[in-house]
Amino acid sequence: MKNKYFFATILFMLAVVLPFIVPVFWVHVLTEILILGLFAASFNMIFGYMGQLTFGHAAYYGIGAYTTGLLMVKANVPMLATLPLSMLSAGLCAALLGYFCVKLRGIYFAILTMAFGQLVYYIIFQWYSFTGGDNGLQGIVPPEFLGKAANPYYFFTLIVVTIGMIALWIISESPFGYTMRAIRDNAERTEFIGINVQRYMLLNFIIAAMFAGLAGALWGPFNRSVAPDLTNWMHSGIPVFMTVMGGPFSFLGPLVGSAIYTFLMATVTSFTEYWPLVSGVIIILVVLLMPGGFLGLIDEKFPFLMRRGNGTGKTDGQGRQER
Amino acid sequence: MNDTDPTILKISGLSKSFGKYAVLTDVNYSLQKAEIAAIIGPNGAGKTTFFNLITGYHNADSGTVLFQGRAITDWPRHRIARAGISRAFQVSNIYPRLTTYENVRQAILAQKKRTLDIFTPASGLARESTLELLELTGLLPNRDTVAGILSQGDKKKLELALALAGKPEMLLLDEPTAGMSSEETHETMELVKRLNAQIGLTILFTEHDISVIFGYARKLSVLYQGILIAEGTPEEVRRNEEAQRCYLGEDI
Amino acid sequence: MDITSLFTQFLSGLTYGTILFLVAAGLSLIFGVMNILNFAHAALWLMGAYFSYTFWNLMQEHSFAFWLSIPLAGFAAAAVGWLMEVVLIKRIYKRELYEQLLITYSVALILSDTIKLTWGVTNKLIVRPEMLRKPVFIFGAPLDSYFIFVILAGAAVAIGLWWFLKYTRYGHIVKAAVYSREMVGALGIPIPQIDTWVFTLGIFLAGFAGGIQAPIGSITLGMDTAIIIQAFCVVVIGGFGSLMGTLVGSLIVGEVLSFTILFWPEGAMVLIFVITAAILIVRPWGLFGTPMRT
Repeated sequence: MKNKYFFATILFMLAVVLPFIVPVFWVHVLTEILILGLFAASFNMIFGYMGQLTFGHAAYYGIGAYTTGLLMVKANVPMLATLPLSMLSAGLCAALLGYFCVKLRGIYFAILTMAFGQLVYYIIFQWYSFTGGDNGLQGIVPPEFLGKAANPYYFFTLIVVTIGMIALWIISESPFGYTMRAIRDNAERTEFIGINVQRYMLLNFIIAAMFAGLAGALWGPFNRSVAPDLTNWMHSGIPVFMTVMGGPFSFLGPLVGSAIYTFLMATVTSFTEYWPLVSGVIIILVVLLMPGGFLGLIDEKFPFLMRRGNGTGKTDGQGRQER
Repeated sequence: MNDTDPTILKISGLSKSFGKYAVLTDVNYSLQKAEIAAIIGPNGAGKTTFFNLITGYHNADSGTVLFQGRAITDWPRHRIARAGISRAFQVSNIYPRLTTYENVRQAILAQKKRTLDIFTPASGLARESTLELLELTGLLPNRDTVAGILSQGDKKKLELALALAGKPEMLLLDEPTAGMSSEETHETMELVKRLNAQIGLTILFTEHDISVIFGYARKLSVLYQGILIAEGTPEEVRRNEEAQRCYLGEDI
Repeated sequence: MDITSLFTQFLSGLTYGTILFLVAAGLSLIFGVMNILNFAHAALWLMGAYFSYTFWNLMQEHSFAFWLSIPLAGFAAAAVGWLMEVVLIKRIYKRELYEQLLITYSVALILSDTIKLTWGVTNKLIVRPEMLRKPVFIFGAPLDSYFIFVILAGAAVAIGLWWFLKYTRYGHIVKAAVYSREMVGALGIPIPQIDTWVFTLGIFLAGFAGGIQAPIGSITLGMDTAIIIQAFCVVVIGGFGSLMGTLVGSLIVGEVLSFTILFWPEGAMVLIFVITAAILIVRPWGLFGTPMRT
């Protein structure tokens, strides 16, 4: 148990030190890694912990981004105040749409979340008067104290993402978090121990959407604008990629996956426009050759670095993970 | 209802069919509190379906299930479990990726209504009662084993532990000793018997093992092709000709 | 709004529905038989359109070039699909749902960029033969004469597929595999070969649809991202693995798009997703599917 927080501490220290060493371009990349890392970690609450694949999680990320953007641009609400409001609006939408999603499982869950994601996308895309349609919203400027330089916004993001990650960690280790693992492993048995499975799944769906909304809220001011593409199914694929790359069976997997994915994207796009092709090849290789993701690989080679038996273990009973 | 009513379960006119195939036809059944009763019958007689209807796994086509005087026929599964009916499945139905300890703790936390708690680390909760139940069911040596790789017999013990964790009034055991060694079978049934004696737990089980049936049940009911054809003490059923013809055959 | 323009709108919805049917039929068949949701399906459809352009371009001086390039596009796409199945899909049948989705999604990304690398970013235009340049009038409603061909070709494929599934031995095997793979395997029929041929057939249909689509307008990059989602909607509405369902679903989506664009253009896609979501919630297995596997 001594090593429980070892890896997380190293990551955090790296995150504090790196922006002082690397050029400004990479500070922007680091900011992006953190924001998308929180997005991917929130996705993994549904995927890794609850065992359902959502292909529409970007909808809540986008709703968070638009809530912040609209409040800042149209109502001059201070950025800090928009963050909780973004979580709230993403959570409310998730309560409405998730109510239907949690009735389904497996492929049907994936398709319904995707259909709802596209619904949100087309509403934002077509509602010119309110959302700016395909032009998006411009001029989302972070407050003065975060300045024009890259570092202040980076550290602000680091604080918010760290708080978000700690909150998600606490939830995942709570009885509620273990109930999610129980539902993932065996939803039927969970009903027979007296748990209203659909209601719990809905709650988790809402929680995951709230943190996706928080991540989205950080994106708008970082990028100075938001666009409808943030909500569509292609964008919903990103947390899936990240989580699978980093390792869906460990809490920090999605964040590590975000670091790998975003770093690769920043590097590759600097010399070729064919990032989709490169990323496609990488994902195929990851799925075929290292199904536990990067952290799964580390866990295999250097088991002393990772905590074992935390209920996100690699055996799924049918031995399918043990290839 | 009054508390002195000794009937814990009363089933009337229960029927279920899948498509054209009638699995249960007009079953009437009642069970006294603190009874140990068995449902026997050949494979496909409808025993598991009978359990499925009581626990809400399937909805009945017609008929009612009264538990402690309340009609639970159309209740959802989790509500029936909360009302005090626990169930151990024939094919072990556990959490394969959680450890044995975490499996049992999960069921205990559900019983204690702590599962909506999102702040407290689960690792510190319900330690004593979890260990107690692991001890009781003989799973303590395997507490940190991932449940998916437990032996068949240990999985069945865990299955029983999950059912017991709900602190039930009535326990339904679907072939509780299938896949167990004869020693494990004996231990398990003795445990069930002890719980019955100590806390007055009502037990209803199905079983193929004749020695278990006649060794532990105080009331037997014979189900044949979805119809309840005989009922009584083991002695009475043993002497019942129809029951003999349909099921017991030359075994007795 | 008079009857004639309503009829025109109906015919254009029918045309688009036909294209959707050709794309979705393969998608539905592949999912029905092997439980794989093929994200790359529309990329292969687009590839079919580009193949058709290339074939037409190579044979331009011949009068049959226009017609021949359409089935050739189907065969060329089928070859790519066959390769994809043998090299990649074969490895993931027993994998988790998310791994299967990620693989086909990645193939879609790779194919889209491959198209860009092969055919470049400029739009491609196939020049139609003389006889297809003037509109025809049906009950006074003007209709692009090529649309007639699209609708007839779609009807022919639908009838052909129906005949195949109903009257041929392989059709019966495919239908049985939709119902239960285990059962078909138990009968001693080699499932891996069935998978390969069903997948290849599905991709042939997509490529053929791409070939038919090509002369409708110009061929542009990124056309596939809109149609893959619409094809998913068709399959969900009709039910995975049901040919009849796919046909009905395609016509519903085609006509709904065609008519809402008339009355409420912003809401067209929103309405499609509302219908799809409603079907998923009420009947996850679709209008014509059977509730079995999840």
